Amino acid sequence: MSALLIAEGVSKTFTRGGLLARDRIEAVRNVSFSVGDSKPEIFTIVGESGSGKSTLARMILGIQAPSSGKLIVDGLDVADMRSRTKRHAFMAKVQPIFQNPFEAFNPLKRLDRYLFMTARRFGGATSDEEAQAAADRALRQVGLSLAEVQSRYQHELSGGQLQRLAIARALLSRPRLIVADEPVSMVDASLRMSIVNLFRDLRDTLGISIIYITHDLATAYYISDRLIIMQKGTVVEAGDARTVLANPQHAYSRQLLDAVLLPESAAARQPAAS
Amino acid sequence: MTTELPLADVKAPVLRVRDLKAHFRLNRFGVVRDVKAVDGVTFDIARNEIYGLAGESSSGKTTLIKTIAGVIKPPLEMVGGSVQFDFLPGYDAVHRAPAELVANVRWRHLSYIMQGSMNVLNPLRRIGAIFRDFAYRHLDGGDAMFEAAVVAHLARVRLDASVLKAYPHELSGGMRQRVTIALATICRPDFIIADEPTTALDVVVQKDVLGMIRQIQREIGSSVLFVTHDMGVHAYVTDRLGIMYAGRLAEEAPTREIFANPLHPYTKHLIASLPRIGDETRRQSLEGHPPNLASPPPGCRFHPRCALAMGICKTTAPQMVTIAPGHRVACHVVAMGAAA
Repeated sequence: MSALLIAEGVSKTFTRGGLLARDRIEAVRNVSFSVGDSKPEIFTIVGESGSGKSTLARMILGIQAPSSGKLIVDGLDVADMRSRTKRHAFMAKVQPIFQNPFEAFNPLKRLDRYLFMTARRFGGATSDEEAQAAADRALRQVGLSLAEVQSRYQHELSGGQLQRLAIARALLSRPRLIVADEPVSMVDASLRMSIVNLFRDLRDTLGISIIYITHDLATAYYISDRLIIMQKGTVVEAGDARTVLANPQHAYSRQLLDAVLLPESAAARQPAAS
Repeated sequence: MTTELPLADVKAPVLRVRDLKAHFRLNRFGVVRDVKAVDGVTFDIARNEIYGLAGESSSGKTTLIKTIAGVIKPPLEMVGGSVQFDFLPGYDAVHRAPAELVANVRWRHLSYIMQGSMNVLNPLRRIGAIFRDFAYRHLDGGDAMFEAAVVAHLARVRLDASVLKAYPHELSGGMRQRVTIALATICRPDFIIADEPTTALDVVVQKDVLGMIRQIQREIGSSVLFVTHDMGVHAYVTDRLGIMYAGRLAEEAPTREIFANPLHPYTKHLIASLPRIGDETRRQSLEGHPPNLASPPPGCRFHPRCALAMGICKTTAPQMVTIAPGHRVACHVVAMGAAA
């Protein structure tokens, strides 16, 4: 079985300015990796802001075309999405989850509409009843139900619920790959682990591979199988998540790991001199 | 256990908050609806300490600091309790003091470090001019002395004098946040409110900036009210920690104590659910979601999500009780356990 996602020498260069003062920004430089070689996995991309991790995600989703290099998802070349049929086949396989659930949904649109639309377009539902049944099934997989979200609007649900809904919507097309860009950074602390645990369950029960993009090494350690660490557009370290985080080789990886604020630091610190 | 003394033993506090209630009062067609964002919060902050306030979104922590800072605009109303600063004697809230008095107190005694540095720094003014806007009236001496004081202070946050000539957009996020820290501390205020000062920063920069806040605080001896939802940040920077849930304080203790020995079920969950590198055991997540503060559950506001909830939790709101020196908690189960 070949890999689900293959990235080969992917680069993205943005140019800014006009004829005289042209500025080139290399957001992603010659990045190669593969996801889901033999079994579904959670593949984490770690890096600071400006490291190119979100640009990479946008290229995997086909929102932005790479300047050079190739991205192949389940045999489909992401660059070759000219026809509507091909594009829809690709969109059904790869689904996004965005950082801020409050911005991902239109506040004036009923939330169930998103589910029904996706069910009809990508989930093979042909009638309202089928769409509703599919939506309910997907919602149950994330611990919600259609009764809870029917005719609701974005402001009526909590961030955690909205992010679950976003995941349920993604599941409707029965994707092979989910690209989640900082999916828990806007979710409340008491609900955060439920989303992270959900990703684990999706991998184990539904066999979906997940590209998890984050700057938080602690959750990365908790859920990832493999990870890459990016800095300024290049991959500085890659490998098995436990091995890399237990013994980081690159100076930047060590710096990142050192910056993780541990609860234990409270005990190590001297109390205030008062 | 002493119920008579529900407060941590703080000597000569800079800030005393007593039974503070701040509600958003919505009046629709004569029907008044209160969103009880802060509902009976009592605590003290001592001189020269960093007091952390933890809580998730909609726990009322932002409303609490707005009320403490006296930035109250309708529909927000302070409906009860008091906020007393020792540098503003005789007034039970900043916004109730005369405007000219408050103008002298702001920035000289009470300053802020806000989350988005870009929202604090005027994009059309150079950093030097911004320092002048904020601090010139509060510092003695002429232009040359002011300039020298600013440059010396910028060196504390490892910034060169050249940033004074720069516009905010020319600086990186970390540098801008260091500028706002320098700005907030240059008048050596007695009290600084820091509202999620590092959430917009990268992890590597964050640790650096937090270290700086702590270092400057120790140097000038200010008190800091540090608000963030990130427990890792609290562990790193705060001396005492208050945990807010649904508009009330659930627990308060020295930071070390709260991490070593959390008592409230909500605090226990918050600390136990933190993922740690080197530990793969499955983390539990809380059932349910934070309550809607327009119609909070009766009794203890945490009871619908609490595994230990008893009959009394559904009817009576628990009072803060002191369990150990400096360790207060509002939970019927813990209070009973301590009494038994």
